[in-house]
Amino acid sequence: MHLKPVLNFIGILVLFLGLAMTLPLGVSLAYGDGGARALTISMVIAALSGLLLFLSTRTREELQLSHRDGLAVVTLGWVTAGLVGTLPYLLSGAVQGFTNAYFESISGFTTTGASILSNIEGLPQGILLWRSLTQWFGGMGIIVLSVAILPLLGIGGMQLYKAEVPSPVVDKLKPRISETAKTLWKVYILITALEILLLVGGGMSLFESACHALCTMPTGGFSPMNASIAHYNSAYVDGVIMVFMLIAGINFSLHYRFIKGEASAFGKDTEFHVFIALFGIFTLTVTLDLYGSVYQGFSEAFRYSSFQVGSILTTTGFATADFDRWPAYSKQILLFCMFIGGMAGSTGGGIKVMRVILLVKHAYREVLRVIHPHAVISVKLGKRPVPNEVLNSVWGFLLLFVGLFIAAALIMAAMGLDMITAASSVAASIGNIGPGLGSVGPNLNYLGIPEAGKWVLIFCMLLGRLEVYTVIVLLAPEYWRR
Amino acid sequence: MKVIIVGGGEVGFHIAQRLSNESQDVVLIDKDPEKAARINEELDIQALVGSGTSPGMLERSGIMDADMLVAATDSDEANLIACMLARHLNPYLLKVARLRNPEYLEMKALLSQETLGIDHIINPESVMVETIQSLMQVPGASDVIDFVEGRVKLIGVTIRPNSPFAGKRLASFHGMEGKLLVGTIVRGNRVRIPHGDDTIQANDLVYVVARRDELRNVLELFGIKEEELKRVIIVGGGQTGRALAKALDGPRISTSLIDRSPSRCEELAESLQRVMVINGDGTDRDLLLEENVSNADFLVALTGDEESNVLISLLAKGLGVRRTITRINKLSYIPLVSSIGIDTIVSSRLSAIRAILQHIRKGKIISVAPLKDEHAEAIEAEALTTSKIVNTPLSRIKFPKGALIGAVVRGEEIIIPRGDTQIQAGDRLIIFASRKAVSALEKLLTVKLDYF
Repeated sequence: MHLKPVLNFIGILVLFLGLAMTLPLGVSLAYGDGGARALTISMVIAALSGLLLFLSTRTREELQLSHRDGLAVVTLGWVTAGLVGTLPYLLSGAVQGFTNAYFESISGFTTTGASILSNIEGLPQGILLWRSLTQWFGGMGIIVLSVAILPLLGIGGMQLYKAEVPSPVVDKLKPRISETAKTLWKVYILITALEILLLVGGGMSLFESACHALCTMPTGGFSPMNASIAHYNSAYVDGVIMVFMLIAGINFSLHYRFIKGEASAFGKDTEFHVFIALFGIFTLTVTLDLYGSVYQGFSEAFRYSSFQVGSILTTTGFATADFDRWPAYSKQILLFCMFIGGMAGSTGGGIKVMRVILLVKHAYREVLRVIHPHAVISVKLGKRPVPNEVLNSVWGFLLLFVGLFIAAALIMAAMGLDMITAASSVAASIGNIGPGLGSVGPNLNYLGIPEAGKWVLIFCMLLGRLEVYTVIVLLAPEYWRR
Repeated sequence: MKVIIVGGGEVGFHIAQRLSNESQDVVLIDKDPEKAARINEELDIQALVGSGTSPGMLERSGIMDADMLVAATDSDEANLIACMLARHLNPYLLKVARLRNPEYLEMKALLSQETLGIDHIINPESVMVETIQSLMQVPGASDVIDFVEGRVKLIGVTIRPNSPFAGKRLASFHGMEGKLLVGTIVRGNRVRIPHGDDTIQANDLVYVVARRDELRNVLELFGIKEEELKRVIIVGGGQTGRALAKALDGPRISTSLIDRSPSRCEELAESLQRVMVINGDGTDRDLLLEENVSNADFLVALTGDEESNVLISLLAKGLGVRRTITRINKLSYIPLVSSIGIDTIVSSRLSAIRAILQHIRKGKIISVAPLKDEHAEAIEAEALTTSKIVNTPLSRIKFPKGALIGAVVRGEEIIIPRGDTQIQAGDRLIIFASRKAVSALEKLLTVKLDYF
């Protein structure tokens, strides 16, 4: 690994995050909420240390990031961003203890949305906005953002992009990777702005609308309200947020092509069809399960089930109901949704619909091979063949994902957590969802998890957001061999 | 007419042979000196050695006073360049290019306008695929040709010994008038355009014209039942095999495509959706059994090696496949293989000729199909006002010997003609003609004022 360019890049990232704190600072000053001092100090610390790191590692030679360096930049970048994110929490006293602050910060950047806060509404507005912003940056990717705004990256761009983008295959929308990243960010900003407008139109305050929109589009799930979306008890708000959660769970290249005027962008995409079909089937079965048992009206059952299925399937984690109290069947479906996740290239987490499709098709191919021993069958997505290397990497991904899930759940259980809590907290972390079941259910929080358990979950969140390989690779001895 | 053909491959050779048989002046250009020498010996044409994409070579071939250029090399690019150069050298030339890439075919408009100036595009592979497909639609027929956008079908049927038609005189076919018409009888190697007193014998191959909506009844008369096509096995994944598989690709027909080369199989599997691509040798009995050949409706042998195709078809017949279609290029094999039980044959030669013929006929000729080793043709033509055949009862027209009108299409109406039928200007006619009668027929169809 070339330490200098890696540190140099991380310096820029820290500097950028420091500068980004001006926005919550402004809000804090406007509200006079008492968070301004903490945000100012955080900003100065972050901006100065970032600048210092950048200047001290500057070289005359052109920045050259190798493939390996790219992986280090991404993982270290995220770990460092998490550190920077703790500053406002610790300095304002909003969160007690470094572990808790780091948990909240990483949960933000990885768009998980698992929180250790019990009284969210009591915090200064500036701190709440910072909390939402971490999710918004993390959703499209802090590294992709840097690639988009920093032309100095040059050659290493593709490596970084690939290591961070949540998809087994990279969609290049533009000839240059920095242009692609910029385009995606533009789409992201546009849709976020649209959601803010719609929420404000529904009577929500601008501040709360912004916080919710900033957490919907990255499928994050932090809410400035203690009771999450249930606070509003409004079908309109539920509806708007649900639609935008689904939008966030869809591949952003499709949004881009649609905005560009390609009306058939969605219609032609197999993954989109499957995603919508899964959403429809799960919503329907959960509605039928809840109708008569939890909710007396059908439309009521549909409203809560569709929101919850959408929220968990896209790995957002907003709640309008305490689904921990739902019947076992509905809970099973939601747990299942945690593993599937959104579409590849969306801001959602989980295994991703595309991988699920490829796994099923690949398995079916093996069935066909038994019937036709000499058949040559190519696995296709839509009409395009999928190379075998991609299929292999998807199988590897599944093995690592499930293996790490089992290992982490065992560790959590060893710490004395009950089975449901242990399994669902890990699933909700590695899938970047947020609320789980049992003692980490939507009405409760992660404060009660043991200290060591929180670090296990932090690791899981990073694994989930960076699609396992990018993080795991740094743990492989081969990586460090010269 | 003077015709220049670029490329002496299978297609170029067959077209040259056909044109020279019709006593046209043909100059053929090919890069390979041996091939050129062989063509010079075999055919009554002039074969030159050189590149068809060289302007100098085209000039030497006499392009300045030629009427038509046929670019028929294996390379689409070379054909395009040849046509482009030819347009430059002789703007009045009729240019026909053989193009394989389907993307070019979709851009027909662009090709034929100012850009490259190609007048007609021919694609023998796609013609062969169309032929195979129409054969599949009418199982039991050994040849099916569509006319007038498929509204009129010409089917070739072999008369079985127990058929009610065996041994009957054509004139005794009472009640059939206006429904079907026997246009050509093939007996052994002899082709006949029949009169009323001709008899049909067992094992004759007869060509019959019928309306599409009457097809089922007509086939039943010949003892053939239409059955739905469900399972097809294609052996050989070359250009034609792939195109056929692509045409059959869909949920309705279960298709298997067998090819010997593993890398070709990969390519095929990637470009086809539901077709099962099998890597293996089509002559391998176990492989055919594994693919359940005994339950298949059709086995189509399309490998590049015609001897293998014959063997594969025979093997599959032995294993119980309902029907086979075999690709054979050597004309001399055709009578041979039908005697050993190969029923339906397609040939790249006939396909190439079918593709080119309609572009070289004079007058208002819409399409032309060669019948049985090209000894006869079925021609679709429009009746011109100036032609002598218009407005006279058919029985009073002096038609060339060996020519017969098989159907008259007037707007929506399709008439199977009788002696008292009159042709009107603008009618589309389907005419059977032996090769000798073709030129006389052409004259009859194109008569102009100066003829009077």
